Amino acid sequence: MTDATQSDTAFRPKPSLPPPANTVGAVGWLRKNLFGGPVDTILTVVSLYLVYLIVQFAIEYGIINAIWSADTYRECLDINRGEGACWAGIGVWFNSMMYGRYPDEEQWRVNLGGIILLLWLIPFWLPKITGKIQIGMSAVLTFPFLGAALFLGGEFGIFLHVMASVALTLFAAVWLHVATTYVFGRSLAELLVSATGFAGKDDRLHKYVLLGAFGVGFVLSLVYLGSWDLVEIPTTIWGGLFLTLVISGIGIASALPNGILLALGRRSKMPVIRVFCTAFIELFRSVPLITILFMAVTMMPLFLPVELNPPKLAMVIVAVCIFAAAYMAETVRGGLQAVNKGQYEAAQAMGLNFWKMMALIVMPQALKLMIPNIVGSFMGLMKDTTLVSIIGLYDILLMGKAAGQNPNWLGFHTEPLLFTAMFFFVLCFAMSKYSQHLERTIGGGYGRR
Amino acid sequence: MKKVSLLALGAGFLASLAFTPEPVLAQESTLEIVKNRGILRCQVGTPAPGFYSLSDDGKWSGFDVENCRAISAAIFGDPDKIEYQSVTSAVRFTAMANGESDVLSRTTTWTLFRDTQLGLDFTTVNFYDGQGFMVSNDLGVSSAMELAGATVCVLTGTTTELNLTDYSRTNSLDMQPVVFEDSNVRDSTFFSGGCDAVTNDKSGLASIRAKAPDQSIFTILPETISKEPLGPVVRQNDSQWNDIVMWSVFAMVNAEELGISSSNIDEIKASSTNPEVKRMLGVEGDLNKGLGLEPEWAYNIIKMVGNYGENYEEYMGAKTVMNIPRPGSVNDLWTRGGLMYSPPFR
Repeated sequence: MTDATQSDTAFRPKPSLPPPANTVGAVGWLRKNLFGGPVDTILTVVSLYLVYLIVQFAIEYGIINAIWSADTYRECLDINRGEGACWAGIGVWFNSMMYGRYPDEEQWRVNLGGIILLLWLIPFWLPKITGKIQIGMSAVLTFPFLGAALFLGGEFGIFLHVMASVALTLFAAVWLHVATTYVFGRSLAELLVSATGFAGKDDRLHKYVLLGAFGVGFVLSLVYLGSWDLVEIPTTIWGGLFLTLVISGIGIASALPNGILLALGRRSKMPVIRVFCTAFIELFRSVPLITILFMAVTMMPLFLPVELNPPKLAMVIVAVCIFAAAYMAETVRGGLQAVNKGQYEAAQAMGLNFWKMMALIVMPQALKLMIPNIVGSFMGLMKDTTLVSIIGLYDILLMGKAAGQNPNWLGFHTEPLLFTAMFFFVLCFAMSKYSQHLERTIGGGYGRR
Repeated sequence: MKKVSLLALGAGFLASLAFTPEPVLAQESTLEIVKNRGILRCQVGTPAPGFYSLSDDGKWSGFDVENCRAISAAIFGDPDKIEYQSVTSAVRFTAMANGESDVLSRTTTWTLFRDTQLGLDFTTVNFYDGQGFMVSNDLGVSSAMELAGATVCVLTGTTTELNLTDYSRTNSLDMQPVVFEDSNVRDSTFFSGGCDAVTNDKSGLASIRAKAPDQSIFTILPETISKEPLGPVVRQNDSQWNDIVMWSVFAMVNAEELGISSSNIDEIKASSTNPEVKRMLGVEGDLNKGLGLEPEWAYNIIKMVGNYGENYEEYMGAKTVMNIPRPGSVNDLWTRGGLMYSPPFR
């Protein structure tokens, strides 16, 4: 009874009223975000209308009026009067836009090269794997040689043969390492050392085991590569997306190491190095890429002996690497300046020498800060490589343009451009996403925003 | 084909300053270099319909490509020992000056400046082009002189633009140029009625028309307002090489004049009693000596590449998308009122 009395007299708030219907749910969200006032409403309506127009056009052009199978552009025009896409042409020109004039029956080599590179980089994303930096370095430093041997074919010179063998050995080592890590739970190095009975011996002896194993792998690779009998494919007929990736890939891979060296050189206290690096950076940063490319392919041969006559592609790659390094140097220097002086002093107080201070204390912080800028430069470089079309390298853009000049495909120019744009979007967006991922995982202390 | 790109001139000037009198390659003749290399480096442009275009399996073909093939056939007896070098018009002359290309066979207009100032020699003309106008039939115009006050689509920074202004002023037509950077944009503007007329070389006009959704509604007007003789180019100071390139073209023209084609050549070679035919095909005489080639050089050209008329019909003629009819045009044989004329083979 008392309970009942108590509960009758005690203060009991009425249940809260539900929020006004127009502030919750979909309606509330709409009011808050899209129709907050007259200006918002107008903007929303206009934007929606624009989106509607674009989507409607895209669907009509790309799907409803599009032609999916035809042998010439004229056939497409006869059906849709140019009001829809002629995707049939992309089918016809797909191989050209991917590989340029690389012969059809040899294109597997390009694909194989791509697969090897991907496999090489997969361990980078696998948890548990140790030595990721070494894996990354081995791929960046030696894969180009293996790729060159595979893509070029023919009789390779001694240098290329040796370097490609080194690359193949390292590639095998990386995947053996992955296998041992996942099967035995130990790294390849540990396993080799214990298997040969050196586990108990002095640590300093271990490296001889590893060197020995590398030597065996190297000899095997040397013999194996010697047995390759590939048709020679001169670089003059490389093209398409393949060529774009070769140029931008090497440019990107070399930009960071070269950029770091140049940036350090520019901040160096040694006058000769500082002046050289500063001059190098300023010279190549103040000149448009297209000028450097022109110089490299048209002027350089005038100064070089005729017998040397390096292929145009090699000149272009060198030019792109120089240009990318000069830009990257300034990005890295920006990062170096953002690192507090105390960090340098602390490192010196620890007794670290210059290289250790840079590698262990300063660079990790500087590069981490600069991730967005570095990736931004990479994306810029990738898009800049389309300039090589001006000097007559058939990258994906020029190949797409060439398609529209074929007598059977006259007027076919919008579709290749859309197709090319799609590839660049995919590649650049992937890079951008990866950089955000990097910022989240290693940028920890600074947060992003 | 006629871009007066500053870059080209600049590069050309630099190259000519560095190289004009005596290229490094002069010690060894171009013919020896090509023979030793086993392959001819022939420069074409970035694809231009009719003249040189790339197929989806990566093969070059076209009217100017046939010159390369003819030279290769004359030297090697094989029309396909060629490395095609496709560069933009901005670097075409530097690629010759620095020894990268052996011969340039791309729509390049023969002008006094280019022939004398760039360390190059023009060999001969294999196509007479000229600037013209194309209009839509709706305009009801049949002569360029009726285009007073018309808007004309034109590519900017080219001699085409210059010729247009000159023509308009000379004839007080007060034409309004509408300039474009990109040919595709120019063409779609013209198709959608953005200008009354479009001007370009007539071969270029033919390829614009070939792109149109409806080709029958456009007419190329008869006037030709500029001279654009196009032909292969070689480096200066190598007259043997100059002769080889020049006579390779003449062989094709002369073959047509003599009625020799790739299909009937064997018959004619076996049975002809015409001394000029016999000399040309290497049955009699030693005309090949002076060129440093095999006696069958001209036979190989005609057998493997064809005569001038065959090539014209294959890439430019009325049955192709270019649809530039030949009879009575400047590119017909001199015997039929055209300008194609080969010096005698004797």
